[in-house]
Amino acid sequence: MPCFSDISDAEDDMKQDKVSDAILVLRLQRRDESAFQELVNRWEPRLYYYLRRIIEDENAVWDILQESWLAVFEGIRKLKDPLRFPTWMYQISHNKAVSYLRKENRYTQMTNEQMVKYNEKNTAISVVKEQAELVHELLGKLKLAHREVLMLYFLEGFSLREMAQIIGVSEGTVKSRLYYAKNKLYEALKGAKDV
Amino acid sequence: MSESKDKKQFLKNLLAQDPPPADKQLRHKEVLFEKVKRRIWLGKIIGGSIYIALFSAAFWAFMQRESADNVVHSICWGAVSIHILLWFLIYFLREIYRTLAKIAENNYDIDKQSWKNQDMFVTVVAVLIFVYSAIVLYRSFFLNDPLKAAHLAASIFWATVFFLFWYPFGTASLLAKLWLEYKKMELNITKTGGDEV
Repeated sequence: MPCFSDISDAEDDMKQDKVSDAILVLRLQRRDESAFQELVNRWEPRLYYYLRRIIEDENAVWDILQESWLAVFEGIRKLKDPLRFPTWMYQISHNKAVSYLRKENRYTQMTNEQMVKYNEKNTAISVVKEQAELVHELLGKLKLAHREVLMLYFLEGFSLREMAQIIGVSEGTVKSRLYYAKNKLYEALKGAKDV
Repeated sequence: MSESKDKKQFLKNLLAQDPPPADKQLRHKEVLFEKVKRRIWLGKIIGGSIYIALFSAAFWAFMQRESADNVVHSICWGAVSIHILLWFLIYFLREIYRTLAKIAENNYDIDKQSWKNQDMFVTVVAVLIFVYSAIVLYRSFFLNDPLKAAHLAASIFWATVFFLFWYPFGTASLLAKLWLEYKKMELNITKTGGDEV
């Protein structure tokens, strides 16, 4: 049974994470090398997961990660509000990924077609798997546009406005994409339960 | 379990579905940190050069006093060197104050807009006073009476006094506020721990 201290502890944890991120950003603005390393260690797994869902080629993902982090380092002083760091960082990664896809002439194709290639072996949904596995599998079956909003929603719990800023579309577009992606997810989860 | 704890666990599970390969991640970090290290050093070299250039300028102004062909110029060059050094000190104090203020405004209940307005106002006043002082100092070079020149050149240093108090006192009060908030947080944690028992 959830107790009051559980909730307040978890909320405190989240607030503490945000605050310590903000402090790391401030330290990085003063060119503190260890703050940069700490930020990379904290955020890289999430960024890697996010980029891997957008770009198929793993080597390209590493290159984009490298470029994104260097862009973060170069531009961190322009970030006025350190609490906006996650949104700003995802925005940089998104832009880098999109320009890579455009260079490869894959962006339009990927936003319009279903991408299942990287995850073809996991087409069957099994009930014994955890919800996270189901979501991971479903992400591979969605269009890039829907997949991206769902990832941002699950990874960071961004608001519609923040997601719109990251992707560079209107809030209404994000809302409809998220609605569609959530419906798909709901159906998949329901299907998995029924089996 | 609370919703936020669930979310954290879910996120952990989701990331575990496709974690970055350890060897590639290690290599990526090595390259990245090396590049950043190089850029930080480059920044330090540029910053250091500016620092050295400013202090050389101040020292050069100070030395001009010795070689100046009249007493007025000798006094004024000395004043120029102190003028540069004092304003450089104010700039450093301002940077420390602003860093602490950013930490405080992000963590605690502070009216962000009023702080920004106040900071903007003080900065604008500082720039105006710096420019006005420089003009006064320039004009003092053209005086004939050494006593008047000394009086005029020395008068501009009063303008820096306000900022030499404002920023250190501001920093001290912010530090006190941060310390109090930290203590409050510590007490709250102890209290929550007690409730659980």
